[in-house]
Amino acid sequence: MSTSTQTPPSTNVPRQGISGAMRSAQARRLFPWVLGLVGLLAALGLQSQLYSGQERTVATIFMFVALAQAWNLIGGFAGYASFGQVAFFGVGGYFTAVAMSHWHFSFWMSLLLSGFVAALFAVIIGIPLLRLKGHYFAIATLGVAEGMREVVTNLTDLTGGGAGITVPTVGNNATTAYLGNDGFYLLFLGLAVLSVIVGGLVARNKFGYALRAINQDEDAAAALGINTTRMKVLTFALSGFITGLVGASYAFQQVTIFPERLFDVDITVLMIIMVIIGGSGTVLGPLLGAVALQFLSEFLRQNFTNLHTFILGAIIIVAVVLLPQGAVNYVREARRTKEFSLLANVRKYRL
Amino acid sequence: MSGFLQATVYGLLQGGLLALVAVGFGLDPFLGMFVSAAVLFVFGYVLQRFLINLVINGPIFITLLLTFGLDLMIVQGMNLVFSADYRSIKTSYASESLAFGGVRVPLGRLLAFALAVAITILLVAVVNRTRTGMSILATGMDRGAARLMGIRARHVYALTFGIAAGLAGMAGAMIGTVGTFNPSAAASFTLMSFVVAVLGGLGNMYGALVGGLVIGLVQAWGGQYLPGTWVNALAFLVLIVVLIFRPTGLVGRAFYASRQEV
Repeated sequence: MSTSTQTPPSTNVPRQGISGAMRSAQARRLFPWVLGLVGLLAALGLQSQLYSGQERTVATIFMFVALAQAWNLIGGFAGYASFGQVAFFGVGGYFTAVAMSHWHFSFWMSLLLSGFVAALFAVIIGIPLLRLKGHYFAIATLGVAEGMREVVTNLTDLTGGGAGITVPTVGNNATTAYLGNDGFYLLFLGLAVLSVIVGGLVARNKFGYALRAINQDEDAAAALGINTTRMKVLTFALSGFITGLVGASYAFQQVTIFPERLFDVDITVLMIIMVIIGGSGTVLGPLLGAVALQFLSEFLRQNFTNLHTFILGAIIIVAVVLLPQGAVNYVREARRTKEFSLLANVRKYRL
Repeated sequence: MSGFLQATVYGLLQGGLLALVAVGFGLDPFLGMFVSAAVLFVFGYVLQRFLINLVINGPIFITLLLTFGLDLMIVQGMNLVFSADYRSIKTSYASESLAFGGVRVPLGRLLAFALAVAITILLVAVVNRTRTGMSILATGMDRGAARLMGIRARHVYALTFGIAAGLAGMAGAMIGTVGTFNPSAAASFTLMSFVVAVLGGLGNMYGALVGGLVIGLVQAWGGQYLPGTWVNALAFLVLIVVLIFRPTGLVGRAFYASRQEV
C-alpha cells in the first residue's frame, strides 16, 4: 500500500509488476516456513494451557507427526510402501533402553546413537530389500519388523525378553533425570519440528525430485542418471534415523518397554494411514493427517469406549473412498482444475 | 490377486464363527464349512463390487488401507457380537490320530491338509480351463485389454474377492476344528497369509501351497530344535532370505513382482 502511493503509478507500472511478481514468488517460498514458525509458537503457547494428562496426549500427537513424516520420505516420495517401519522405532527404543540401563550412557547420548543405529539398520536391510517392489517389498519389511520383535524377545540377557526392560530414571543408577510431562512435550515437539523441516527440505531439493522420479518410473529415473539404489537406501536411512530418534524418546517416556509394544505392527499402520489421509508425497499432508487422526482417535477413545475402533474403521473407509489421494492433494488438484465436487473425485478412482 | 490376499482375514474368522453357528444347528463342521464358504462368497462379492471397486484405480496402499478400515470394523463388531472369548469347534473325530508306523497323524489336521490340496488343484483347473477363470487371468495381466475384449472387470474383481473370502471361510472352519480362535486372532492370520503368499510367489496358483508347506515345515522343525520362541523369528528369516535370492518368491512369476499397480 505505502509503496504504491509514494511512487507515481504511470511510469512505474512495468517495473513494479516485475518486482511485485518477484516479491510474491519470494513470499510464496517463505510462506510455509512462516506458517511453520506460527505453528511452533502456537504449540509452545498451548503448553501453558494444558494440564499434565493433556500434555501427554498432545506429546503423542507430536510423536505421530514425526513418525508420519519419516514414513512419508520412503513411502510417499519414493513410493516404497514400508510395512516394517516400526522396526526402526523398536530398534531405536531398545538401543536407548539397553544403553542407559546396561552401559550407563546418558539419555542424550543414547538418543543420538539410537538414530544412527536405526539408520545403519535401515542401510543393512535396505540394500537387499529395496530391490523388491510392490507387495514383495511391503511383506519383506513387515517380515523384518516381526522378526526383530522375536529376536528382541529372545535376547533375554540384553533386553529382558518378554518381561520388558526398565530404564533407570531415579536414584543413583539414573544417568539422566526423567524429563517429566513438560520435558517430553518439548522433546516430541522438537522431533516433530525436525521431521517437518527434513520433509520440507527434501520436498524442494534435487534429492526430493529424484525420489519422485523413482516413484513414477524407476527405469526412466535410472536412465536420467539417478543412482536409484543409493537414493533409495539413503532415504530409507534418513527415514530410519528419524523413526529411531522417536523410538528412543518413546522408550524413555514409557520407562518400561516391551517388545510387543515397541514392535507393534499397528504403529506402522497408523503412520501409513496418517500419511495417506493427509496426502502422501507432501509435507503438509502427514502433519495434518497425524494431528487429525490422533486427535480423533483420542476423542473417540474417551467418548465411545466400546465402539471406538469400530467408528475409527468407518471413518477410515469413508475418508479413503472420498479422498483416495489424501486431503492436501485433493485441495491442490481442486484449486487447479476448479472441480471441487467430491463425487467427481470418487468417479476418478472408481472402476 | 491382491484382493485375494486381503479377503483372507475376514473369511478365516467369520468362517470359524459361521461354522460354529452351523454346528449349533446340528451340522458337522466339515459340512458347515461349505455353508460358511457360500455366505462369505456373497459377502466378499458385494464388498468388492460396491466398496473396494470405488478406489481400485488409486495406488496400492489405498486398497490396503480401505480393507484395514474394514478389518477394524469387522473385528470390533465380532468382539461385540460374539465376545472376545477363545472358541473351538468340538467334533468327535478331529482330535483322534491315525498311527503310521511310529508317527501319529492327527485326523483333523490331515483332513484339513487334504482339503487344502484338493481346493488348490480345483482352483487351478477352474482358472486355467474355464472362461471365467481365463477372464480372471486376463484381467490380472492387463485390465484395459481385458475390458476391450468384453470382460466385465468389475464383476471379475468382485468374483475373485468372493472366491478368496469363501476359501478363507472354509479355512476358518478347519482352524476351528483343530485349534482355538477369537476375533483378535485376525491380525496374525492376515500376516501369515501375506507371508505365505509372497514367499510362494504371486502369479502362480501353486505358490500359496508351496509357501504354506515351507512355512509349516520350518515352524515344525524350529519348534522341535530351537530354544525359547526363536521359532517365530525363523519363518520371517526364511521369508527374507528367500526374497533376497529370489525376488519373485519360490515359484512366482517376474511379471507380478515388477508390476507396480494392482
